[in-house]
Amino acid sequence: MTYELNVAHLYGDLMNTYGDVGNILALNYYAKQMDVHLNVNVVSLEDDFKAADYDLAFFGGGQDFEQTIVSQDIQTKKAELTKFIESDGPLLAICGGFQLLGHYYIGADGEKLPGIGALDHYTLAQDHNRFIGNIVIKNQETGETYHGFENHQGRTFLGDGERPLGNVVSGKGNNGEDGTEGAIYKNVYCSYFHGPILTRNGDIAKHLLVAALRRKYPDADFSQQEALPIPATF
Amino acid sequence: MSFRSGVATFAGKSSYWFLHTFLHGGSSLPGKITLKLDPNILRTLGAKYDVIVITGTNGKTLTTALTVSVLHEKYPSILTNPTGSNMEQGIVTTFLNAKNPKTGRPLAVLEVDEANVIKVTQYIEPKGFVFTNIFRDQMDRYGEIYTTYQKILDGVALAPNATIIANGDSPIFHSKELPNPIQYYGFDNEPDSDFKAKPNTDGVLCPNCEHILHYHSLTYSNQGKYFCPNCGFSRPELTYRLTKLGEQTPTSSKFEIDGHPFKIQVGGTYNIYNALAAYAVGRFMDVEPEQISDAFNANQQVFGRQEVIDVDGKRVTIILVKNPVGLDQVLHMIGTDTHPFSLVGLLNANYADGIDTSWIWDGDFEQLTDRDIPAVITGGERYKDITFRLKVAGIPDDKHIVEPDLEKVVDRIKKVPTERVYVLATYTAMLQLRKILATKGYIKEGLGV
Repeated sequence: MTYELNVAHLYGDLMNTYGDVGNILALNYYAKQMDVHLNVNVVSLEDDFKAADYDLAFFGGGQDFEQTIVSQDIQTKKAELTKFIESDGPLLAICGGFQLLGHYYIGADGEKLPGIGALDHYTLAQDHNRFIGNIVIKNQETGETYHGFENHQGRTFLGDGERPLGNVVSGKGNNGEDGTEGAIYKNVYCSYFHGPILTRNGDIAKHLLVAALRRKYPDADFSQQEALPIPATF
Repeated sequence: MSFRSGVATFAGKSSYWFLHTFLHGGSSLPGKITLKLDPNILRTLGAKYDVIVITGTNGKTLTTALTVSVLHEKYPSILTNPTGSNMEQGIVTTFLNAKNPKTGRPLAVLEVDEANVIKVTQYIEPKGFVFTNIFRDQMDRYGEIYTTYQKILDGVALAPNATIIANGDSPIFHSKELPNPIQYYGFDNEPDSDFKAKPNTDGVLCPNCEHILHYHSLTYSNQGKYFCPNCGFSRPELTYRLTKLGEQTPTSSKFEIDGHPFKIQVGGTYNIYNALAAYAVGRFMDVEPEQISDAFNANQQVFGRQEVIDVDGKRVTIILVKNPVGLDQVLHMIGTDTHPFSLVGLLNANYADGIDTSWIWDGDFEQLTDRDIPAVITGGERYKDITFRLKVAGIPDDKHIVEPDLEKVVDRIKKVPTERVYVLATYTAMLQLRKILATKGYIKEGLGV
C-alpha cells in the first residue's frame, strides 16, 4: 500500500454496542481500495491520546454503565481530542460517542454527565421512550441520502457552528423535533446511525478517508481516491 | 386447593385438553385462562414441587433438557416446560398438564425467561437457580446486560434461601453481594497467562473498581478466569471445574469435569458450558458422575443435535443465529469441521429476528476466511446486509452467490461443490426455509428441533 493512516478507535473495548465495530471494518474495506493501509489502535481507559499520533478517529456507542465510566475518563483526553478536532482531524462519532463530544448528556438515572464540549451540542433524556427504527436522512449540501437504524434515548440539540449530517426524511433524528440528524463540524461526523453507518453509507467512509489523506499528505494527488465508486450496499 | 384455584385449574386443564385434542396446540392459552380466573394459581400448583429455575441469555433450553435427563438418573418424576414456553403463561400451563405424582415430592426443572423469574418467585420459592450467562441479545427488544441481570436478581430476592448455581466464568455473576448460597462452575483447564479480552467484547469492566478486567484464561466472549490487576477482584472459587478439554468437532465434544471423562454428541464450546451446568445441578442433587455420564450418553437427542437434512445428496445443517456471541460460537463450531463445506447466510429482520441487523457486524466472520470456503450463498429479506458483511469479511466475488429468494437458495445449495453445507439463519428465515424444504419433501412440516 502506498499510503498509511493511523486510526484511533476511542474506547473500542467499552463503546462497542450495536455492531459499531463494523465501521472500522468498512473503513478498512474502502481504505484497501484506495491503496491505503490502516493501523487501528484501541485507545481506552488510562491510555494516552496524542493528537499528533493519529490521522483518523472513531468513537462508537456503548451501554449506559460503560458510557458513564468513559464520561469520566475522557476528561483526561479532552485537551488532545479538542486539538485533534480543531486541527481538522477527521473523526466519526456514533450515538454515545456523539453525545460525549458535546457539552453534557443525561444518564440513565437522570444525572447530568459531562462530555468534552469539543462540539457545541448537548443531550437531554426522554422518559420511558426510545427512538427505535429505520431512518433515512438527506444531506442538503452533497445531496447524498443516508440509511441507518436508530436506537437512542437521548435527545440531542445542535449548537451554533454545527450542521446536521442530514435532514430527516423518515425516522426521528437527533431529538424528534427539529428534523436534524447527526452533526458535522470541521471534519467531524456525528450520528445516531447504527447499521453500522459506514457499511450502508460508504460515501461517508470515503469523505473521512480522503480528508485524512489530504491532511497527512498535503502534496499528493488523491483525485483517484475521490473518484472511487461506492456501489449501494443497502 | 381453594375453590377459586380449583375452578381455575379445571378451566385451564379442560382448555388444554380441547386445544391439544382438536387444534394440536395449546402451550400458553390454558395458562392464560387459568391466570385470568386465579392470578395466584402458581402458588397452588407449584407448592408440591421442588423447583429448579434455569435462566440466562443463551443455553436455557438445552441446559434445561440436559438437567432433566441428568436428574432422571436418580429421580423418577420430573416436570419441565416445553421449549419456548418460558414465560408466566407457559409455566402455568406446564403445571396444569402435570399428572399427579404417585409418591414423594416431585421435581420441576423450569426454563424461565430472565424477566419472568420474578413471576415465578412471587408464588414459589425454588430450591435452586441456574444462571447460564448474560450476553447482549437483540437490543431492540432486551436491555443492556446489567439491566437484564437486575431483572433476574429482582426475582431471586424473593427466594433468599435458594441455592444459586452460576457460571463462574461470567464476571457479572460475581458482581453483587447476595444472601443466597452460591456455587460456581467454570473452565479450569489451562495454565495461567495474562491478557485482555478482544476489543469488541461486552462486559469487561471490573464491577468493583471499573478498570478493564484481565484474564488468566478465556473461553469466549468475556468468560474465563478473570481478574482485576487494579483491585484484586477475581473469579470466585469454582465448585465444579472443567479440568480438561478434549477433541471438539461440529457434532461432538470430549472433556473432563472434576477429573471425570464425558462425551456429548454436539459441538460448540457453548454446549460444554450447558453440560457443565447440568452436571453442577446433578451433583447438587446428589447424582453420581457416572450416572451423569450415562445421561449424557443416553440422551443424544436431548442435545437438539443439529439436524442434518439430505437435499439431493447434500448434507445440509441449519443453525439458528440470533445474537453476536451465539453467532461467533456457531462460526467457531463449524470451523472445527475438518471436511470442506459451503456456507449459507440467511438474514431477515422481522420482530422475531430483531429488527436491527447491526449485530451481524459483531460476529467474527473474518475467522472463516482462512478456511477457503468454495461457495458462499447469501439470501433472505435483508440479503444486502449479509452480502456486504461477507464481502467485507473477505469472501471473494467469484465464490459468492447472492440469492434473495429462498426457493432459489435451495436450488443453489444442490449445486455447491461440497457435500457439507452449513446454513446460518435468523429465526423467521429458518422457518421460511424449513417450509420450502418441507414442501419439496426433504423434511416433515414443523420445527423438528
